[in-house]
Amino acid sequence: MPAHDVMPDLTLYQPATLDDAVALADRLGTDAWLVAGGQDTFGWLKDRAKRPKALIELTAIDALKGVREVDGEVEIGALTTLTALAAEPLVRERYPLLAQAASHVASPQIRNMGTLGGNLCQDTRCWYYRRGLNCYRAGGNICYADSPQGMNREHCIFGASRCVAVSPSDTAPALVALEARMVITGPGGVRVLPAEGFFLGPEIDIEHMTALRPGEVLSAVRLPAKWAGRPCYFEKVADRNVWDFALVSIAAVFDEQAGTIREARLVSGGVATTPKRLRDVENALRGRPRNAATGDTVAALANRGARTLNHNHFKLPLLENLVRRSLRA
Amino acid sequence: MSYLHIGKDFTPPDVHAKVTGKARYVEDFAVDGMVHARLYTSPMPHGRVTAIDASAALAMAGVVGILTADDLPPPEAPNATMLTNEPVYVGDPILAVAAVDEQTAEAALDRIRVTMEPLPFVVDPTDSLRPGGASARQEGNVYPRELKDLHWTRDDVERFLSGQEPTGAAPEEWRYGDLEAAFDDADLVLAESFVTAGYAHMSMEPRSVLSYWQNGKCYVYGSTQSQSFVMPGLARALGVEMKDVVLISEFCGGGFGSKIAAYPMLALPGHFAKKLGRPVMLRITREQEYYLGSARVGFQGWMRAGFKADGKVTAVDLYIVQDIGSQRTGGDASSAGGAVSILYQPDAMRLRSVPVFTNTTPRGAQRGPGQNQIAAVFEPLLDKAARQLGIDPVAIRVRNAPDSTGTVNAEQGPVTSAYLKEALQQGAALFDWEARRQHNGQRQGSKVRAVAVGQGYHSAGATGYDGLVRITPDGRVHLHVGVGNLGTYSYASTARAAAEVLQCRWESCEIHRGSTDAHLPWSSYQAGSNTSFTHQRANYVAAMDALAKIRAIAAATLGGAADDYEVADERVFRRGQPARSMSYAEVSARAIELGGSYSGAEAPDDIHEVTARAVQALAGTGLIGVAKDTMPVRGEPPGLAVAFIEVEVDTETGKVDIVDYLGVAECGTVVHPMGLHAQIRSGAVWGFGMAALERHVYDPQNGLPAHVGFYQTKPPTYLDVPVRMSATAVDLPDPDAPFGARGIGEPVMGCATAAWMCAVSEALGGHLFNRTPVTPDMIVNHLAGRAPSTPPLATNSY
Amino acid sequence: MDIIELRQDVWGREVVAGISWDLLWLVAAAALVAITSHLLVSAFLKKAVRPAPGGRRLTRHAPADRAFHWVMAASVFVLLITGVLPILGIRFAWLTIHWVAGIVLTLAVAFHMVRSLFWQDAKSIWVVPRDLGELRRHPPRAAKYTLAQKSMHLAMAVVVLVVIGTGILLMTVIDMPWWERSNWLDESTLGWMFVLHGASTLALVALIALHVYFALRPEKLFYTRSMIKGWISENEHRAHHDPARWLPDETA
Repeated sequence: MPAHDVMPDLTLYQPATLDDAVALADRLGTDAWLVAGGQDTFGWLKDRAKRPKALIELTAIDALKGVREVDGEVEIGALTTLTALAAEPLVRERYPLLAQAASHVASPQIRNMGTLGGNLCQDTRCWYYRRGLNCYRAGGNICYADSPQGMNREHCIFGASRCVAVSPSDTAPALVALEARMVITGPGGVRVLPAEGFFLGPEIDIEHMTALRPGEVLSAVRLPAKWAGRPCYFEKVADRNVWDFALVSIAAVFDEQAGTIREARLVSGGVATTPKRLRDVENALRGRPRNAATGDTVAALANRGARTLNHNHFKLPLLENLVRRSLRA
Repeated sequence: MSYLHIGKDFTPPDVHAKVTGKARYVEDFAVDGMVHARLYTSPMPHGRVTAIDASAALAMAGVVGILTADDLPPPEAPNATMLTNEPVYVGDPILAVAAVDEQTAEAALDRIRVTMEPLPFVVDPTDSLRPGGASARQEGNVYPRELKDLHWTRDDVERFLSGQEPTGAAPEEWRYGDLEAAFDDADLVLAESFVTAGYAHMSMEPRSVLSYWQNGKCYVYGSTQSQSFVMPGLARALGVEMKDVVLISEFCGGGFGSKIAAYPMLALPGHFAKKLGRPVMLRITREQEYYLGSARVGFQGWMRAGFKADGKVTAVDLYIVQDIGSQRTGGDASSAGGAVSILYQPDAMRLRSVPVFTNTTPRGAQRGPGQNQIAAVFEPLLDKAARQLGIDPVAIRVRNAPDSTGTVNAEQGPVTSAYLKEALQQGAALFDWEARRQHNGQRQGSKVRAVAVGQGYHSAGATGYDGLVRITPDGRVHLHVGVGNLGTYSYASTARAAAEVLQCRWESCEIHRGSTDAHLPWSSYQAGSNTSFTHQRANYVAAMDALAKIRAIAAATLGGAADDYEVADERVFRRGQPARSMSYAEVSARAIELGGSYSGAEAPDDIHEVTARAVQALAGTGLIGVAKDTMPVRGEPPGLAVAFIEVEVDTETGKVDIVDYLGVAECGTVVHPMGLHAQIRSGAVWGFGMAALERHVYDPQNGLPAHVGFYQTKPPTYLDVPVRMSATAVDLPDPDAPFGARGIGEPVMGCATAAWMCAVSEALGGHLFNRTPVTPDMIVNHLAGRAPSTPPLATNSY
Repeated sequence: MDIIELRQDVWGREVVAGISWDLLWLVAAAALVAITSHLLVSAFLKKAVRPAPGGRRLTRHAPADRAFHWVMAASVFVLLITGVLPILGIRFAWLTIHWVAGIVLTLAVAFHMVRSLFWQDAKSIWVVPRDLGELRRHPPRAAKYTLAQKSMHLAMAVVVLVVIGTGILLMTVIDMPWWERSNWLDESTLGWMFVLHGASTLALVALIALHVYFALRPEKLFYTRSMIKGWISENEHRAHHDPARWLPDETA
């Protein structure tokens, strides 16, 4: 077993404009790998677990950085670093949920380098997959994690389809909760997808976690005014308080009127291959007050349809508890 | 007693280089003609190499050669090998390839075809003990100091796993006292089974090595905890005499027990360099460091303890199945027994153990090997007894704590001194224990607070090593230190004993260390918490030898008897006649003229060959003080530590926040307060890691490890430890150390793990997890009334 | 172009992982070439015999058999769509539909096998030496099934049984309502199952292409109609079949 840790030989492209980046990505297709902060990328490359021929580094494209207001919506450039995002007044003021989520990613050093786009597009952390094994997600025929004695404490309780990996992103659940829209620039122009449709489960595409196709770049994220300034709750439970991935996280927003919830969106990270919307909970919350009693009433609905593996049934009570906390806060 | 140096803070001479980045670690060195080696390691947990085809790699431009097990002396099972044709764990090195640069070497690795035949493997000791269970090594599945096959009956295994008193054969046993009588004497008997996971040493600096041969000598740039102590093993591994080895190890980026002596990789580049005729730099990747870098021995065990109504421990029966990984080790269980014997002073005790091989990374001593595992599970048992007997946790510990009449180990030998009661009482007062304990179990929202106390022990000193000091004609005092720079600054703090004896300013001293070429004396291993005690003594005897020579020269030069002379301010003067004096510079010049033992032309007979060679090299350069420590010692010097902790357990998330921490060291006289406090706090951080975080897990279906990166193994981070961590020490001198100091490195970790365990148990109303680590999922499951997700005593559970 | 895809197993050993999907294009192209050639040959060389659908209506396929055929056709079509489109990069949740269709196909085939073996003249679909005479005569004077039909059936039977057999084994390594997945097949065996499953899929693509092509040929359309409506005309029977070998009843 060779063990690697130096960068492989590959061609590095550093386009200065989005058009150039898209043109390159389109031309190079699956040979190319888009890199922003590199916090997910370099591990893959140095381990040789992924072997692209070319690297398209996006960080020189200034147009993809920063937060701006467009038609009453807040648009965040995909290259905005997580540190910048968490500190951005516009985001902190209107979408504190996203600011909190961004500030819980990994470690300060990683947030300084890592970008929102990278955090959303990062690959799963299933340790078998990360070892470079030829599992389903790597195009193979097998899942090592979902096996009678597989070590799958971190794996999913929802949406398994051969692969049982989970979405590692902390910002993704927040964006799904906020009904964000993802701006994707490709050779054919721009398309906009709801955040919920951006993340793909293994039943749809077992090898990719997002709807991005070769040649496409996630260029921005737009946050609708609908949820601006609404009460929200974010919590991430991980083993460590720094540089760790969520065992379970929750991102919730509430639209309350006269003491009752008119609409709520609750999204959990770490429990499915995509951010998991807790629709049963959302539906049950309509018309109820946001308080501890409601939490006790609806918490169990969070686990409807869950299927646990050998080592992850703790995620059931943990998810219920996080739902409770989001309602109590 | 007031000292010039002892008990005073100082700046160890290597600190600036470390904090400014100027320190050169192994990978920072480069020499002319150096080639870069890379390892090809086993992809399977146990197998036999049937063919190696390196032709495609060797045909690449820039590839200079490969090294296989066939190029090396045959290994002796179950020793760790440099390279092997029968790997016993995933990551066991099979071959090395060298090329002119790293990229080429890595590309060459991809072109080597190694054909292997899988052999049966096992990653959990009890699976190996089952009837027909796989043996991790073909030579045998257990290692009670010899290779043997041992299998239990199905019933033995089931009983053990279900927590009943073990019935399976245990090939290692010691005992003292009348165990049955002592249990009969007890008012309360408690028994629990337990499991403690092994986990990686995780040295920040991987064990990279640079080697080359020059004029028949092998130069080895390595990362080691010890310096002189590494030499015999390294010479053996290289197949040369010790005089032909030069070890350069000025800085060590962490060893934690995994770099005490000559580990296999230290010698591999030497062999490769010999084969290639070129210097070889072997850089170890982070992933490989997790394979080669060793791990703590895991315990699966059962314990029973008897208590009198007043809390006195009457009897302890320990039974430990040790997960000793794939290679020679296995002292942890006996050390665990030793710790119990001293901390609780039971009237009778028995230790049984089964050291079992698994196809996992090699294991070895890790900070408190054995003592800290048992502290993590036995201390909560003590609290359970205290709870049932209605005794305060501090009080039950005070009731059992050893004083200087305490005894230790199977032999029930004496200790040099012990002040554990004082440590407990001092800590309790400082922590405001009585008041804070009243709030235990109080809930605030989803959080429950609790305070707890924990204890740790490790033997803390050895004797019989050499010291070497030299005063040159410029008046400088040269402290030749064979102690390695493992990160505790003990190389410097122990050298200060010589400066104390010679009453010289620290600025006049120069420490020589870090390379065989610096002419260093024979020294102990920098491990086992022993350096402070051991080398205070060794430096003391060497300095006393120098002092005797200074006085003799002064008497011969200035008249009178040697006894009439004293030293101060780097001068020797006649008592009451300060004017009749010589400077150290003058004394040194005179010593060179006198020759013989004064200048090192002659050396004592009883010193080690390493010291003798150093003296020989230094002879004639100044006044030489050299001696072997033959001072008497009355028993085992104990290192004792107590921790007080306050935690907040979130009953909804299972997260444990450490709110406050106080570490109390009982290590005799404090030599270097800053260094000690850093040890107490950093030991605690490590202890929290063992208790709550550090991950080491194998998939039993394929033997692959899930922990090959820092983010997967999860050592504690800044936000996982309390903002405030306090440290203090009892500071009573040990009579057998010249300046009263004993070692403390290991117990200050074990007490933290124990305190964390006890506090979480206390917060959860006395629930015992009886395991390390305890992670949020386990706490959440427990509180939700759900069964744990792993079978009882499974080692691969987190 | 690879024929078989190799991958490394959990211990880095090279194992077969499946058929190379590059072959899909090859098979599609081959089928297209075969069909085009036949089109050309029949357009220029052969005179197609197209008997009028007049006369009495003779029963060729019982309703149960027609139902079986179309259930099988539908399930195979669904299986191919769900199996092949994801390979072509079209993303949708295919797996559940795939195995459900696979179970439908399996049940249909089981029904057909039991029915044909115990209640029907199974031999009528079996190729016998005498069928070879049809090669010399145009149009053939066949028994109930022509040599071409028998051959197609034989090929289909083999391929479908392989695809079902391997499919059932592959179902054991995914989660099903009745069991949880496991890795009980070692990776090499699993790889060979994928090879067989993939190879039979490719064969199915080719066979179905030919089957559909011939079903749509003007001179054979009456067979297609018979698979829909159940009957052929007396004229068609006379033109293509030997009454001595097959004389069906009149339909109701």
